[in-house]
Amino acid sequence: MLRRALISVLVLSSFASIGTFASVASAQEGDSTQVVGEGGASTSETGSSTSMFSNLANPAIGMNALFSVQAAHNLARAYGFDFDEAEISLLSVVDPYWTFTSNIVFLPDHTIDPEEVWVRNTSLTSIQLKLGQLRGTFGKHGLLHTHAFPFIQAPIMMANTIGEEGFKDPGLEASWLTPLPWYAELTGGAYKAVGVDDDHPLDLGSTRHDNIPWLGHFKSQFDLNDETTMELGQSILEGRGSDGHRHAAYGADATIRNVPARSSNRKGWILQGEYIQKASYPGGSYHREADGGYASFQYRFSQVWWGGVRGERARRSFTDFMVDEAGDPIPGTVNRGSVNIAWTPSEFSFIRLEYSHAKADRGTHPTDDRIMVQMSYTIGFHPAHAY
Amino acid sequence: MKSIVRLALLLSLGLGLASPARADLKVATSLTDLASVAQFVGGKHVTAQSLCRGFEDPHFVPAKPSLMKAIQHADVYVSTGLELDGGWLPLVLPGSRNPKIQQGAKGFVDASRGVSVLEKPTGTVSRAAGDIHPLGNPHYYLDPKALEVVADHLANVFSGLDPANAAEYAANAKAFDERMETSLKKWEKEMAPYRGATIVPYHLNFIYFADRFGLKLFGTVEPKPGIPPNAHYIAQLSDNMKKSGVKVVTYQPYYNADAAKQLAKRAGGVAVEVPTEAGGMPGTDDVFSKFDFIVSSLSRALSGSQGGSR
Repeated sequence: MLRRALISVLVLSSFASIGTFASVASAQEGDSTQVVGEGGASTSETGSSTSMFSNLANPAIGMNALFSVQAAHNLARAYGFDFDEAEISLLSVVDPYWTFTSNIVFLPDHTIDPEEVWVRNTSLTSIQLKLGQLRGTFGKHGLLHTHAFPFIQAPIMMANTIGEEGFKDPGLEASWLTPLPWYAELTGGAYKAVGVDDDHPLDLGSTRHDNIPWLGHFKSQFDLNDETTMELGQSILEGRGSDGHRHAAYGADATIRNVPARSSNRKGWILQGEYIQKASYPGGSYHREADGGYASFQYRFSQVWWGGVRGERARRSFTDFMVDEAGDPIPGTVNRGSVNIAWTPSEFSFIRLEYSHAKADRGTHPTDDRIMVQMSYTIGFHPAHAY
Repeated sequence: MKSIVRLALLLSLGLGLASPARADLKVATSLTDLASVAQFVGGKHVTAQSLCRGFEDPHFVPAKPSLMKAIQHADVYVSTGLELDGGWLPLVLPGSRNPKIQQGAKGFVDASRGVSVLEKPTGTVSRAAGDIHPLGNPHYYLDPKALEVVADHLANVFSGLDPANAAEYAANAKAFDERMETSLKKWEKEMAPYRGATIVPYHLNFIYFADRFGLKLFGTVEPKPGIPPNAHYIAQLSDNMKKSGVKVVTYQPYYNADAAKQLAKRAGGVAVEVPTEAGGMPGTDDVFSKFDFIVSSLSRALSGSQGGSR
């Protein structure tokens, strides 16, 4: 019922957007003249271009690079300085109806991951339409880019449920800002069927023609006072797996955030908790697979210093130090605590030091201690991160 | 399930019907100064609301979803322009799902249009100089004359969107300009004895005010835009202030008051808290009272009579 309703909303949104384009186009024809006039961007008017190939409409470009050093005595890998990734972002307006966003990630194994390549339409009243290679709107941590993770390591549950960096898949999403008196956003999405791989731990890969993996997300945000907000989110992602059965992920998150009005870039704190569960329905009956959650607290001491502490638990989950005698990964229950401190001399760079201690119920090395240092550098245009 | 859907629909419908009567144009702005000007120009036909409060740093407004909700039904959005709100507005505007106020739509206004912009970088723009604004200094709302440009601009925008009341918007803008001119003469008279005097602002947000009233700036409390001062820098700057006889440091409610006070103390001067936007301090409810406050505070501090923290 819910699935059908969400798909209907998406289809209707698509038709509605097509229907409104004509009227928006005619309404904005006059605007385009105004915009060029305001910006003075016309080469013929300014005479500033000496080439017939103008670059004035080039996209905003930015790049972020992440480097790290890690010492973990139980991992079978050499210590040393690592290049984690470099992310190039290109953003621009396509035309009066669409804006284009892309984040292309270059990885140390010489591969390229088109992490996000999507267009967004803002012509529809109360509805935002996104399509392309999306980061699906599921949960809280899964929406973050790697350099925006509050801790160097993603929660263990992520890689065991929807993906270490969230659910990324080609698809279509519509999000509706409902008329409820508080900020209440309902998102529905439909995606390509993708089977299990390193980035997709949730099996949605059935090739049956009735398999359209879909997502539902409901987010509410309340201002508790002028400086403190509370956000609550519920997420569901479901589809048919390559085994023919239904597979799903369910999530819930809560965030309380404080940003003092008179010191918004010097003080503040974030208290956050999230739980994600992966499930399947072999033979139609519910079967819980990997699940886990975390609770974290971040505190901003000054303009340049942040600190954080996180506790987490993951069940029926894999993690890098849990291996059997042969060195092969095995699943189990893991508890991990992390603490970090970050120095952010400007908005465009940071260096942070993190320590974590983990204890597992299985494996040849049931405990893990590691110290990490991560450095982040950003050049060019970089869009603000979501609140 | 069906009953829940029905209930949600009824609730939505009920909320829509229960919406209060509203003005002809609902205007949202990035700054309280812009809301103040919009309210003067729009009069009874406009309700204007600023997303950034007067005591908040306009560079670092948290892009709360509730701000998106606040402008979901706005008819006009007035941005400061020159990228002052560039850190948060690109999230808030699309998040509002309001096509009327997206950049390029008729309801989106760049208030800096027509303003004489100072400190436009020439040559290469580099963040080695700190968190600079590549399009020029965006704090033009500290020049009374610039607000006249904004008022005239807004009158044109409101007239285009609400032609029935165009004459009223034009008349209101004219009245605003005249009041600003009269007030400016008063402020210039009060500041005249201090023409050529030197102050140290926390951030380079006072350049338009200094330019208008003939003040000189002697560095800033922060070593570079957006970079917090350290003890060595404060010591060095205070020594230079002493040598040059500079005694007045200004800061805003959203800056680190301790750094400004420490600098002033070491230099043997005073640190004066002044707003940059309406609502930044008590008694600064609109742009006129804001300038009244700044002029009064600065003239007292520069005269050496009182004001600020020593």
